[in-house]
Amino acid sequence: MDAEPLARHAAASTAGTPIASPAKWVRMRFRAWAQQRQGATDTQLLTQRNVYILPTRAGFMFALTLLVLLVASLNYQLNLGYVLTFLLAGSGAVSLHITHATLRGLTLHVRPVAPVFAGDSAMLDCVLTSPDRARFGIGLSVLADGGRKVSWSNVPARGQENTQVSFVPARRGVHALPALKAETRFPLGLFRAWTVWRPASTLLVYPKPEYPAPPLPASRPIPGGGAAKRQGHQGETEGVRAYRRGDPLKLVVWKKAAKAMECGGELVSRDTSMAVHLQMQLDWALCAGMDHEQRLSRLAAWVLAAHRAGVDFAVLLPGQALPISSGEAHRRHCLQALALWK
Amino acid sequence: MTLPRWPGWRHLPRDTRDTLFLLAIIAWTVAPHIGHLPLWCSLLTAAVLAWRATLALKHGALPGRWVLVAVLALAAGLTLWSFHTLFGKEPGVTLAVSLMALKTLELRARRDAFVVFFLGFFLVLTHFLYSQSLGVAAAMLVSVWGLLTALVLAHMPVGQPTLREAGSLAARTALLGAPIMVLMFLLFPRIGPLWGVPQDGPASTGLSNRMRMGSVAEVALDDSIALRVKFDGSAPPAHSMYFRGPVLGRYDGNEWRPLAPSIPSPRRAPGNLRPQGVALPYEMTLEPLRLAMLPLLEASNGAPAVEGLQVFMQDDLQVVTDRPVLERVRFRAEAYTRFEHGPQLATPALRDYVELPANFNPRTLAWAADLRRQPRYANADADSLAAALLQHIRRAGFSYTLAPGEYPGPDSIDQFWLDRKAGFCEHFAAAFVVVMRALDVPARVVTGYQGADPLPVDGYYIVRQSSAHAWAEYWQEGVGWQRADPTSAVAPERIERSRNLVPAAGLVAGALGSLNPELLARLRTAWETVNNRWNQWVLGYSRGQQFDLLRNLGLDAPRWEDLAMLLVAALSTLASLGAIWAWWDRHRVDPWTRQMDKVRNALRRAGLPCAAHEPPRALARRAREHFGDAAGALEQLLLELERQRYGQAARARPVDALTRQLTTQTRLLAPAAAR
Repeated sequence: MDAEPLARHAAASTAGTPIASPAKWVRMRFRAWAQQRQGATDTQLLTQRNVYILPTRAGFMFALTLLVLLVASLNYQLNLGYVLTFLLAGSGAVSLHITHATLRGLTLHVRPVAPVFAGDSAMLDCVLTSPDRARFGIGLSVLADGGRKVSWSNVPARGQENTQVSFVPARRGVHALPALKAETRFPLGLFRAWTVWRPASTLLVYPKPEYPAPPLPASRPIPGGGAAKRQGHQGETEGVRAYRRGDPLKLVVWKKAAKAMECGGELVSRDTSMAVHLQMQLDWALCAGMDHEQRLSRLAAWVLAAHRAGVDFAVLLPGQALPISSGEAHRRHCLQALALWK
Repeated sequence: MTLPRWPGWRHLPRDTRDTLFLLAIIAWTVAPHIGHLPLWCSLLTAAVLAWRATLALKHGALPGRWVLVAVLALAAGLTLWSFHTLFGKEPGVTLAVSLMALKTLELRARRDAFVVFFLGFFLVLTHFLYSQSLGVAAAMLVSVWGLLTALVLAHMPVGQPTLREAGSLAARTALLGAPIMVLMFLLFPRIGPLWGVPQDGPASTGLSNRMRMGSVAEVALDDSIALRVKFDGSAPPAHSMYFRGPVLGRYDGNEWRPLAPSIPSPRRAPGNLRPQGVALPYEMTLEPLRLAMLPLLEASNGAPAVEGLQVFMQDDLQVVTDRPVLERVRFRAEAYTRFEHGPQLATPALRDYVELPANFNPRTLAWAADLRRQPRYANADADSLAAALLQHIRRAGFSYTLAPGEYPGPDSIDQFWLDRKAGFCEHFAAAFVVVMRALDVPARVVTGYQGADPLPVDGYYIVRQSSAHAWAEYWQEGVGWQRADPTSAVAPERIERSRNLVPAAGLVAGALGSLNPELLARLRTAWETVNNRWNQWVLGYSRGQQFDLLRNLGLDAPRWEDLAMLLVAALSTLASLGAIWAWWDRHRVDPWTRQMDKVRNALRRAGLPCAAHEPPRALARRAREHFGDAAGALEQLLLELERQRYGQAARARPVDALTRQLTTQTRLLAPAAAR
């Protein structure tokens, strides 16, 4: 999938949101500019050009402490006081370089991300690689998250470290991965070095499955169809189907039936007769009276249920029909179609 | 309350270990203060630290805020009770120590931890108010290192870093910062105090402009160094080393004070000094005495030039400065150990020196009148009267002691001179002057230092606060002011040998001394030498030395602005070097990657296009396809590269020789491909 148009789309959508205050607007514009400066890439080498550093609040406190120590040394003419003050000042200045060097030279890489359902959290699997020395206390977080969830890691010398950050995509569709922030305060916490990195990969987000889902639509039995496929599963509970007159009571799945009837559905029977294979159409038209997203949600739930039940199914969307099939690939295919519809 | 069994540093959970380490460092930092703190503060601190350690070991909950507020209020109350104030050095240190201990009970957020660290650095500084000796410096270096280590640990949020690892990272940071420290220490302009003179700085002086009975006794116990003298030639004997401090001419019955200074006549030398013999040039390093005067060796020839001070010599030969001397100063002067001074003929101003307060010490006055009535002394001159008094002191059962007890006023001289007859220099000097004045001889008390440590260290004679002394001067017609030291009459060894207090040898020193006295003496000398160098070069480093440094760098008339400019220039250079390093660092790549880049570039030049992702083996195959059998050697080399990088015995770094061979081989192939 082409990342650029998606990224541009994402940037445009953030620019379109209403802005609370001018300061926020300026910060957002700056952030957008800073992000545009660096292209999106899945593997980012941190250099002088993309690592920023500023003193922390503790750094300012430290400066104030140094000032107090200096004034005390001046007023009491303490040469050892000067030594202490300047030793701390020197260490602070060196810590600036160490903090910056902790990030500089590091390579960040994000692994391909598995699709998730809207509302679930997506795990971004990041690899930090150090070409030389060991690096400590590197925190990775989602930039938009505001630093609430930071996953900390150490990178061994000439080695790699895996670390995960999660974020929750709100809507279905293809999302650009969120901008990530790597930061460190090592060693003394007086300075904070950080970098903002936009991975180029995208993430596919399926519609949020409706829960509780209504029962599957009625299926059509196809005698003999697909029986050979399921030889090995003979006698196991393969799935459920709608109750048909004549089904023995022991075949009724009471738990599921109760749940289904609560939602205005009907009795559900255990489907063990492998000789008869079922087929169903998960049709957009079956979800009349709901808006598009709700319909997609329901279809997603049905796709999941049908897949669980081992039923062959087709998905019919306006302008798009997915042929009858079954299996993991088909499920993924259908969910992707739902995610990308329109 | 039972403590869980100590599992050793290694087996503690990380949080517990870090907390205990921080507590240990805090305890180490606070410990040297125990001597200066009120007992309650030491106990409170120890109790709080122990409590916190127990909580850490048992993973207990920290106490609530109100407990802390209550203990803090208690500490503030006790401080107020102990010192009657919350301000000043002692109450300040007490409060800082209490705060530090209490803050450990509140280590919740990162901000709390920082408060502990910064308070810790401040506590380190407070030690220097009491002592700046080598030992204290070493102990505080450990404290700073420990605090930095704890700070580093706090910024390694994951894993289980060992203390050694964090400690070496902290030490590395500090060591890398050391050049900046040295530079700033050398060049940071030593300007004077920014505001009002702190009354309670380090080394409270033995000298002051006033003298009361008993005040010098406190000084005699203070073994810290007052000044150091280095003579160009041979040193004068200890008994003639008198360092002249405040001259006290006014006596109100309780207290001795200086007379209002008379303006020296511009036509002649101050005090009408008449030196005899040859001049004795010397260099003096004076500790901050916090007095507006310099205790010069008697009798120095005029006021010396001192950087940053205006110095005058008064008519009483006292050398005063325009402000209290709060920094360590070093200067050169010349002295004449044989001299006469003061008016040779009676002047009206001399009458100030015979005044005695009315209704004080009647019995002493009567004793003096009795002496005058003796035919021998009826018309005696000042010299013979002084000799008679010294003779009396020698014969009448006077004794020298540093702890004579109090002489409550108003008639303290009476009690000393006639009843108890025990005291030290200031009692003898004061009584001598009072009796001389009662005999109508102009006389005054001179305070200062007398004597020095018997052996010079590195050429420097050390004068300690314990050498603070008071003696007397009387006026003899035709000669001028004459020195009389009544203390020498009763305790000549105090004057001859100068070190009046010999500290008892410690256990180790005692054992060593009995086994090998020579070794002990040599060790002591070595230690004193090291200590002296420390004092001279680290503690004694001040504006004068800074200007000397600038002169050595080729500046003719250095000013402090030059220092500041030089410092800024040096720091800017360092900062630029740092920036250049960071910039250069960005071009640094993994050596393996660099090797592969070289190989690929060579192959490209030879006419074989290759992509960045192709491993050595793929390159070897394609080289064989492209160049044919001629590439056999190259193929082998590429496979060797693969072995070196990925094989069983993979190397940490590429071998440069192989890289060279590879490029040469490739170059050899280039013309073959062109043909």
